[in-house]
Amino acid sequence: MTNTVLMRLNRITKTYHMGEVTVNALKETTLDVYRGEILVILGPSGSGKSTLLNIMGGMDLPTTGEVFFENRNLGMANDNQLTSYRRNEIGFVFQFYNLIPDLTARENVELAADLVDEPLAVTGVLRDVDLADRMDHFPSQMSGGEQQRVSIARAAVKNPRLLLCDEPTGALDYQTGKLILALLVKINRDRGSTVVIVTHNTPIGDMAHRVIRMRDGTIAEIRENASPLPPERIEW
Amino acid sequence: MSALHKKLWRTIGKTREQFIAVVAVVTVGIAVYIAMTTAYFNLNESKEKFYRDHNFADYYFHVVKAPQQVTKQIETIPGVTRVTGRIQKDVTLVNDHNKRATARLTSYSLPIEQEINSLQLLTGRFFAEEAMAARPGEQYTRNGDIEILVDPQYAEANQLNFNDTVTIVAEGKMVPLTMVGTATGPEFIYLMKDAATLLPDPRSFGIIAMSLERAQQLLNLPGQVNQVLVTLAPGTDAEKVAEQVKSILEPYGNLAAYPRKQQLSNAMLEGELDSLKSSSRFMPAIFLGIAAAIQFVILGRMVRSQHLQIGVMKALGYNNRQVILHYTCYSVLVALCGAVLGTLLGLALASVMSRAYAVYFNLPATIGAVNIQAILYGFILSLGVSTLAGLTACRSVTAINPAESMRPEPPKGGGKTLVENLSWLWRRLDTAWKMSIRSAARNRGRFAITMMGVVFAVGMLVVSLFTIDAVDYMIESHFHQNQRYDYLIRFTSPVKENELLNITRVAGVNKAEPLLEIPVKIKFNGKNEDDSITGLNPGSTLKKLRDPREQPVEIPEAGLLISQRTAERLGAKVGDTVEVETLLGTGPARHAPVKIVGINKQLVGGGSFVSLEQANLILQERQLVSGVMLKVDPAFAAQLKEELEDMTAVSSILSRRQELDNFNQNMDSMVYSISIMVIFALLLGFAIVYNSSVISFSERQRELASLRVLGFTVKEVSGILLKENLLQSLLGVALGLPSGYLMVKGYISAVSTDLFTMPAIIYPTTYIYSALGGFFFIMVAHLLAVRGVRQLQLVEVLKNKD
Repeated sequence: MTNTVLMRLNRITKTYHMGEVTVNALKETTLDVYRGEILVILGPSGSGKSTLLNIMGGMDLPTTGEVFFENRNLGMANDNQLTSYRRNEIGFVFQFYNLIPDLTARENVELAADLVDEPLAVTGVLRDVDLADRMDHFPSQMSGGEQQRVSIARAAVKNPRLLLCDEPTGALDYQTGKLILALLVKINRDRGSTVVIVTHNTPIGDMAHRVIRMRDGTIAEIRENASPLPPERIEW
Repeated sequence: MSALHKKLWRTIGKTREQFIAVVAVVTVGIAVYIAMTTAYFNLNESKEKFYRDHNFADYYFHVVKAPQQVTKQIETIPGVTRVTGRIQKDVTLVNDHNKRATARLTSYSLPIEQEINSLQLLTGRFFAEEAMAARPGEQYTRNGDIEILVDPQYAEANQLNFNDTVTIVAEGKMVPLTMVGTATGPEFIYLMKDAATLLPDPRSFGIIAMSLERAQQLLNLPGQVNQVLVTLAPGTDAEKVAEQVKSILEPYGNLAAYPRKQQLSNAMLEGELDSLKSSSRFMPAIFLGIAAAIQFVILGRMVRSQHLQIGVMKALGYNNRQVILHYTCYSVLVALCGAVLGTLLGLALASVMSRAYAVYFNLPATIGAVNIQAILYGFILSLGVSTLAGLTACRSVTAINPAESMRPEPPKGGGKTLVENLSWLWRRLDTAWKMSIRSAARNRGRFAITMMGVVFAVGMLVVSLFTIDAVDYMIESHFHQNQRYDYLIRFTSPVKENELLNITRVAGVNKAEPLLEIPVKIKFNGKNEDDSITGLNPGSTLKKLRDPREQPVEIPEAGLLISQRTAERLGAKVGDTVEVETLLGTGPARHAPVKIVGINKQLVGGGSFVSLEQANLILQERQLVSGVMLKVDPAFAAQLKEELEDMTAVSSILSRRQELDNFNQNMDSMVYSISIMVIFALLLGFAIVYNSSVISFSERQRELASLRVLGFTVKEVSGILLKENLLQSLLGVALGLPSGYLMVKGYISAVSTDLFTMPAIIYPTTYIYSALGGFFFIMVAHLLAVRGVRQLQLVEVLKNKD
C-alpha cells in the first residue's frame, strides 16, 4: 500500500468551555490519514477519540491547528463548505444507527443517495449488506444488527472517500458486531474507501492497517499492523 | 419554593415561547368572552332600564283617526295597565338650505312621566303645552311659537341649537317650529325611518316631539289621535288584549297593530343583542378549545420526553397524583396568565364596543359596569378548560414504571400509511415527502389538532373578510344594479300621472318613471302580514327586481310579485291568491284579491310589487302616482335638486348618492372590528402551527441532526420540516375555506333579523386572501420554530442516547 495522505491534522487542539469550566478535549495532536487504509482509534472515554472523529468528519472545527482534506483547508471552512464536505466526501456510521424511523431501509439509503451526483445503486448496496429481503422494513421492525447494516449501507451508498465509524459495534452483540466489521472491511477492499473506526474495544485494532491509541486528549501511540486479521478471527 | 416548583418554573422558562403562544390564545378567548359578555350585559341593562323608566309600550295600534276619549274605553280592558293616545305622523322637514328631510312628528301629553314611551330630556327644557306657557325662570321663546324637542342625532347632524327654527310642511303649509331642546325615547333607540332603510341617517330623518294639543292643531285633527299605545300587566295574553283593542278601534280605521317585538328600534336592538349573545359563546369556545388542544399536545409531549425524569421522581417516592399535578400546574399557569391578560384586554375591548354601540344606539344612560360575573366565569372557564386538558394529557404518567422508564426508548414505530396504497403517487414522492407523510400518520392526534386549528383560523379569516364582501355586494346590488335612479321623489299625497310633466320637464331630467306606493296588509289562509305594495310600469328601468335566486324578474302586467319574507310568513306560493287591504290612512280601506305571479327578494327591507295599473286597480283609482324616480344629467344635478326642493307637493327626496355616502361612512367602524377579528384569527393560526412545529422539531432533533451529519444543508433539513408542516397546514387551509363558508352560513343565521338578511356572498378574493393569510401565519410560525436547525448539535448525535 502506497502511503498517500488523504487527510492531514496538523497540531490541532480542541478546547470546550462548559460554563465556567474549560475542557481541553484535544491537546496538540498531529495525524495523517492515508488513502485506502483502515485506521482504528482506540482509547477510553474522555481520551479525545470522538473529538478527533468529529473534526475529521467536518462536524466540529479545531480550536487551533490545521485540517487538510487533500488540499482543502477545513480549518478555514464555513458552515456551507463543511456541509458540502460531509455530503460529498464522508460516510458516517453511528453507534446508535440514527436511522429515520419514518423511512424504510431502502428509503433511508435513498435519502443519502439523493445527496450526491453519482451514488451507488441503492438495491446493490443493500444486497451487499445482506438486506435484500428486508428492504421495505421500517427501523422499528428490525434488529440492532440489521439497523446498523442499513446505517452502513446509507453511508456507503454515497461512495465516500472517507468512512467514519463511531463505536459501530458498541450497541451490538458479539456475532453481529463481527459481521458489521466484516462489512466495513469489504467496503474498504471493494471500493477503496478509507475507513476510520473509533472504539474502546482493543481487539478490533487487530483488523486495522494502523492503530492509534489515545490517552488524555492526545495520541499516545501509533502502531502499524503488517498483517491485519480478518474480523471473523478477532476475539473479544 | 419546593424543588418541584422550581422545576416547573424552569420548564416554563425553557419553553417560554410556546408558553407565550398558548397564553396568547387563551387571552384572546377570554378577552372576546369578557368583551362580548360585558357589552351584552351593559347594552341589555341600559335597554331594560330605559324601557322600564320610560314605560315602553307593549303594543302599538295605528288608526286613521280616533277620538282621544277612546283611550278611556281601552283602559277598562283587563290586563291593560296604561294607555296613551297620540299623534305620530311623518312630515316633510325643510331645513336651512331648503333641503328636504323627513320628521316623525310625535305628540306627548304633559306631565311626561304619565306617558307611555315617555321622553328623556337631554338638553334644554320641555316644550310648553300652549304658547307662552314657559315656566318662570326658563328661557322664553318668541311669542306664539310652537315649541318642539328634537332627537339629539338630528340636532347634531343639522347643527340645531336652542331657539333655532325648524320648518315643516303640515297640511300643505310651511310651519316654523322652535326647538327648545333635545330628547329621546325608548322607541327611538335605533332611529331608522323604516325597515327598508339600510342604516340610520340623521341628516335625512329625525324625530320632532311636541305637545298633543299643538300636534292636533297643526295637523288639523282636533281632539283626535292616530296611535294608541298600551302597556300590559305581566302575564297578560297580549294577543287577546290586542284583539279587544282592535275591535274597539275598528270604527276608526285600523291601519296596523304590532307588539313590542316588532317595533323597529326594539327589533334592531334585540337583533344586535342576540347576535352579540351567540358570538359571545361561539368565539370564545373556538379559542379556548384550540388553547386546550395546544396544551394537551404540549403536555403530552412533555410527559413523553421527560419519562426518565418522571421515572426518577417516582423512584424517589413521589406518587402519581403529585407528578400529574406538577405537570397540570403548567396548564393551570397558562390559564391564569391568559385569564388575567384576557380580562384586561377584554375590558378594554368592551369599552371600545360600548363606544361603537353609543354611535348606533341612542341610549341616554349607557351602563359601563365591569361585569364581575363575566370575569369570574372567564377565570372558571379558562382554568376549567386548561386543567382538564392538563389532566388528560398527563394521565399517561400513571403508566410509567420507574425501572422501565430508565431504559432508552425503542425506535418509534414507523409503518405503512394509506397513501402508500396509491403506489403510482407514492413512487413519485421524494424521500422527504415520505418522511413527512409517515410522521403525520404516526402523530395522528397532533396532526388532527394542528389541522383543526388551521381550519378554524382560516375559517375565521373567511368570516371576517366575508363581511366586506357582503357589504360590497349589497352596495353593488342595491345601489348600482337594482336602484338605478338618482333621486326618488315622494309626494305629500298621490297625484295624477299627467301632473308629473312638471317634473319631467325640469332641465337635466333624463328619465322619469312613476311609482305608486301603498301600505297594505296582505292576508292569506287566516294569516296576515303588514307589507307595502309598489306599483311600477312594466319595463321600468330605474328599479330592478330579483327573484330569490338572484335572477332578474320583470314587473308583471297583472298579479303580485310578493316579497319573499311576506310569502314565507304567510305560507303563500306562486299561484295562490291573497287578499290585499290598503292602509293608506286617507279615504276608505280597499280590499282586493290579487294572484301571486312571482316572488321578489330584497336584501334590505322588503316590499311587494305590482304594475302601476294593478296598484290603481287595488285602490279603485286611475292613473294615480305617489312618487317618481329620476335619472338625471350629473351636470344639472345640483340645480335640479334645488328646483325639486322648492316644490311644496314634494315630501321627500331620496338621493342615491347621499344614501351611498351615509352607508360608506358607517363602514369605518366595521373595518375596525374586521381588523381585530383578522388579527385574532392570525394569532390563533400562528399559535397552533408554532407549537406543533416546535414540538415536532424538538422531538426529532436527533433525527434532524443526523441528517445534517449525512450532509444535508440547513435549508434541506428545514425543508423537511416545512413539508411536514405544509402537509397538515395546507390540508387545514384547504378544509378551512369550505369551513369558512359554513361558518359564514352560521354567522348569517345568527345575525339575520326579520328586517335584514346578509347575503351569503363570498368573493373568490376572500378565499384567496384567507388562504394567503393561512400561508402567512404558517410560514411565520414555521420559520420561528425551525430557527433551531442552525444550532443543531451535530456532535450530540454521536453520543449515547438519554
